[in-house]
Amino acid sequence: MSKNTLKICIGTPCHLMGAADLMESVENLNHKLREKIELKTSHCIDNCCEKAPVAEFNGKVYQDLNPEKLDKIIRENIK
Amino acid sequence: MSNNISEVVKLKRRLYIELLKLVKSGNLTAEISSLSERMITKDTPRYRCCEFKERAIFDERIKAVLGFNIAENKDRGLEELAASFPRQQKISSVVEVIDMACDSCTIDKYIVTDACRNCVAHKCVNACPVNAIVIIQNKAYIDQEKCVECGKCARACSYNAILENQRPCSRACELDAISSDSNRQAKIDGDKCVSCGSCIAACPFGAITAVSDLIEVAVNLFAEESKLAVMLAPSFLGQFGHQQSAAKVKYALKKIGFELVREVAAGAEITAAAEAEELTEKIEANETLFSSCCPAFKSMVENEFEELSALISSTDSPMAVTAAEIKSKNPRFKTVFVGPCTAKKAEALKDKNVDYVLTFAELLALFTASNINLAQITKEEKFEDAGELGRQFAYAGGLQKSLQEMVAADFESKQVDGLGKLKKELLLIKADKHKYNFLEGMACTGGCVGGPFSMINQNLAKKLVKVFARTQ
Repeated sequence: MSKNTLKICIGTPCHLMGAADLMESVENLNHKLREKIELKTSHCIDNCCEKAPVAEFNGKVYQDLNPEKLDKIIRENIK
Repeated sequence: MSNNISEVVKLKRRLYIELLKLVKSGNLTAEISSLSERMITKDTPRYRCCEFKERAIFDERIKAVLGFNIAENKDRGLEELAASFPRQQKISSVVEVIDMACDSCTIDKYIVTDACRNCVAHKCVNACPVNAIVIIQNKAYIDQEKCVECGKCARACSYNAILENQRPCSRACELDAISSDSNRQAKIDGDKCVSCGSCIAACPFGAITAVSDLIEVAVNLFAEESKLAVMLAPSFLGQFGHQQSAAKVKYALKKIGFELVREVAAGAEITAAAEAEELTEKIEANETLFSSCCPAFKSMVENEFEELSALISSTDSPMAVTAAEIKSKNPRFKTVFVGPCTAKKAEALKDKNVDYVLTFAELLALFTASNINLAQITKEEKFEDAGELGRQFAYAGGLQKSLQEMVAADFESKQVDGLGKLKKELLLIKADKHKYNFLEGMACTGGCVGGPFSMINQNLAKKLVKVFARTQ
């Protein structure tokens, strides 16, 4: 059962700055990690479009992401 | 190509947004000179010696985004350029090196690293066909004057101590169009370059760029000076964001101010029909026909295989057909092609019907600067311009499939994607070692969905195009 929630912003500013890379990197996580995460999308998180791309993991917002940063965040905070 | 949007790419896209906001507020000329100071501060990530050099490079980048050739406008200031819209100057080349940004990577292709143990075997010395390797001070040494860059030494070494060290830009260039000048900076040979855009995507310093039409399109759009028609490349599906439908994109484009939104797939159907006729004649005469829709492939044939250039189909490309159709109905409209391609920019320079070419990212920046978030739009406007025969041009093999359906006669055809592979195929054709009547040539691996300015993974893009192609 997935205990963790990852919300990736797919709004236009975030898409421009690489939200698609984030989505793809989540799908490429190893199976053990992936099945613990429920992936959701959002139209806008916190209005912080200047710091795109943005995602929220277990309630905490992370800005100016890239696949490597997101991977680290997931590994360090996963329940 | 979508993977790993680098910091350099992000910075470039932020620059698009800032410039567009200035155009929108009418402050472009007044504020353009201070833009680099505003965007590059002591605290922004830095790759060069100091923020001052970073800003100087940024100013050069701004010139390219404004739509001017950097080298030719070295002595003109940003204010002067910003005040000169609409541009009177012709663009001389689409792909350009920002000299100041080029890090002058080493030119020596093979170098010996400290991992060299001066072993007894000296496999490298023995492997070298031109005796370029000698042992000096307990270490192998490559005489770069003699080295022919064959790589045998690197493969022979048991310690992997010899490194292939090709510049990313020249490694990406399948046509050997990039060399180094006396300052070791990258130089593009205009006679060989087909504007495929591979080097732009490959350079980690962001030192190679394409001259953009973005600001002029924005000036037209925001000032409502002329009516604009946007032409979306067949590969546009999924490029505007996760789950953003084609119909929503069309609605948003109208909302932002484009008068007309057309699928280039509509032109592709006309191209396919004309090419099918041409091909039928060729089959009867047992001759070979090359596709003409990819401008980079076409340029390569013309540049390097002049004797084969008569085999290229004389049919206009889908972009050219779509633009001609728009202009014949609305002569005063300006046409804007949007796609993942740099070579289309070069093609457009020679086509009077195509006024501007943008990348998907440039159009997305236009949405962002106008505070339009596609994910928050719920309205849609359906596309009904084309069917599968035109829409499947977006991926490698699509055109071939359309022709197999449209041509009544039996014929053999081949599909090749990637400039390197195409070059080999053309050598075979030159030697008359081919047995088919039609060659579909696409410069980018995977076809247009794999273009240098695609926003998403090409497998996903192909899937989305296929679904869209089958919806009526």
